[in-house]
Amino acid sequence: MAETVLLMDSDREHGEAIRTYLQRHQYDVTVAGDAQEILERLEDQKWNILLGDPMIDEAAAAGRIADLLKENATTQLIVFGTRDHVDRAMDLFAMDAVAYLDLPINSKALMLDMARARNHSLKNRKICRYVQRLTDLHTARNHFLQLFDSVPCFISVQDRNLRITAINKWFKQHFGNYVGGYCYQIYKHRSSPCENCPVIQTFEDGRVHSTEEVVTALSGRQYHVLTYTAPIMDEKDEITQVMEISTNITQIRQLQNHLTSLGLMLGSMSHGVKGMLTALDGGIYQLETGLKKQDEARVSGAFEQVKLMTDKIRDMVLEILNYARSRQMQYAPVPVVEIVEHVMKSVRPAASKNNVLCEVFLPDSPGIMEIDSVWMESALVNFLENAVDACAYDHEKSVHRVSLTVTIEPEEIICFCIQDNGIGMDQETREKMFTLFFTSKGSRGTGLGLFIAHRVIQQHGGTVHVTSALNQGTELTIRLPRKPPGSVCENGVSPLTP
Amino acid sequence: MSKKILVIDDDPNILDYLSALFTDNGYDTQVAHNAAKGLEKARRFLPDLITLDIEMPGEWGPRFYRQMMQVKELKNTPVIVISGLSGNEHAIPKAIAAVKKPFDREELLRIVKEAIG
Repeated sequence: MAETVLLMDSDREHGEAIRTYLQRHQYDVTVAGDAQEILERLEDQKWNILLGDPMIDEAAAAGRIADLLKENATTQLIVFGTRDHVDRAMDLFAMDAVAYLDLPINSKALMLDMARARNHSLKNRKICRYVQRLTDLHTARNHFLQLFDSVPCFISVQDRNLRITAINKWFKQHFGNYVGGYCYQIYKHRSSPCENCPVIQTFEDGRVHSTEEVVTALSGRQYHVLTYTAPIMDEKDEITQVMEISTNITQIRQLQNHLTSLGLMLGSMSHGVKGMLTALDGGIYQLETGLKKQDEARVSGAFEQVKLMTDKIRDMVLEILNYARSRQMQYAPVPVVEIVEHVMKSVRPAASKNNVLCEVFLPDSPGIMEIDSVWMESALVNFLENAVDACAYDHEKSVHRVSLTVTIEPEEIICFCIQDNGIGMDQETREKMFTLFFTSKGSRGTGLGLFIAHRVIQQHGGTVHVTSALNQGTELTIRLPRKPPGSVCENGVSPLTP
Repeated sequence: MSKKILVIDDDPNILDYLSALFTDNGYDTQVAHNAAKGLEKARRFLPDLITLDIEMPGEWGPRFYRQMMQVKELKNTPVIVISGLSGNEHAIPKAIAAVKKPFDREELLRIVKEAIG
């Protein structure tokens, strides 16, 4: 396309001659003979080159031309005129003009300057386009960064080695600023990639993959996360990185867990309820037939049975209702020695069957503690049975032992330490061991036992600390206050929220 | 001569109930509170019918049934499963009936009568 030229010349004949000359060289030239015409033409359209005397008519159009050169870098100025006008133009435009020519115009010099002006104009147009693109890119980048940071998900970008190359604000807040670290180390404290890693799968097939995981935050809290992965391609459509987006679904899982455990409890209780109802039927039958036969012994026995069954059914219904609302612990003072005796009595048969040696270490006079003995003893049995199982699964050592050591710590804390020399656990298993439905025992485990046992300890105001090493063994330290917080000794009933 | 029924269940209240129910209806009834005792009694008592619970501590109804089938004198003895377990009708496929706890006593007596009179 021809360059547009506004030729400013008060000498019409001279102007027309230059126009003809320039048109021969493919320029699109319009002549303006006075300042008024110049100003009108400048308003009409954008010009690539302004050529001529901007100082005509007492420099009436010069101010507008100076502004235009500043506003629009693609418009170039070449000045010619009388010596006096050129001098004044130099003062006004200085470096803003491409060239200053004296009259009479040297045609070669004019063509060189016109070519220079065209090049400047082209270059400036290119620069303007780049600047616009850069501005657009910058705006888009800021927009995406804002989105990246504000999305309430943990987002990371990973390379083929699962090394994190970028993270968003949420990730930083919950897992730390570990750009350069490995995903599996930061999320799970593992030393190698997870099985069925969705990032690896996306690198392999370029598709979106999803998984549900339990990860550990900086605070030590565990989050259930739903993770999606998506490929990031380069201009050759090759996957260079993968973005991993994880949504925290812990609250949903907690609600589901509560509903599931309630369902499981009802399911496991239904067998018992059916037996009780049958026994109640039996009592009623014997009562009816005893009255008919005037058999006093049968009536009396039947009455006792009906009463007993009614009590049992009432207790069970109340237990379910209490569980649904909030757990109610039945605290009562129990000698520590008695707790240990009951617990070991339950564990010894399984230990002996698996050739596991059981040892108990008790201090002198450990005294009495307030517990819900049914829940607490079943929790301790569960921990000990897991210790026995860990020994049973170990085929490396010739002698296996599980020990229960009770000590009294300051501030009336009773400490139950359970040690075994079984298979031990890796860090990931250790972190997940109290999660509902997590089991390292495959089909042999349900993932319920340790979850419930841990909750029982928490409800008694206690803590469980675990140290373990693979193939060496595990040590569980359960610390319980002698009297649970908020317990009411008089009637032995204390509601504790989960 | 009265027909003989052996009741096997781990719940003493249910043993009392079924024993009274069958005795009141003219059956010679004996009870056992676990499978091992049940097999021992069945060998001596040679019942005309056995009612069997499925889930008992230390023993599992179907296993008792397999052991019973190996005793020549008992292999033709009809068995009624009485259990609260879901799907109890599949536990012993050759049982003549599977009754769910809590059961309708008239219905149970009807099944027994149909089986042994």
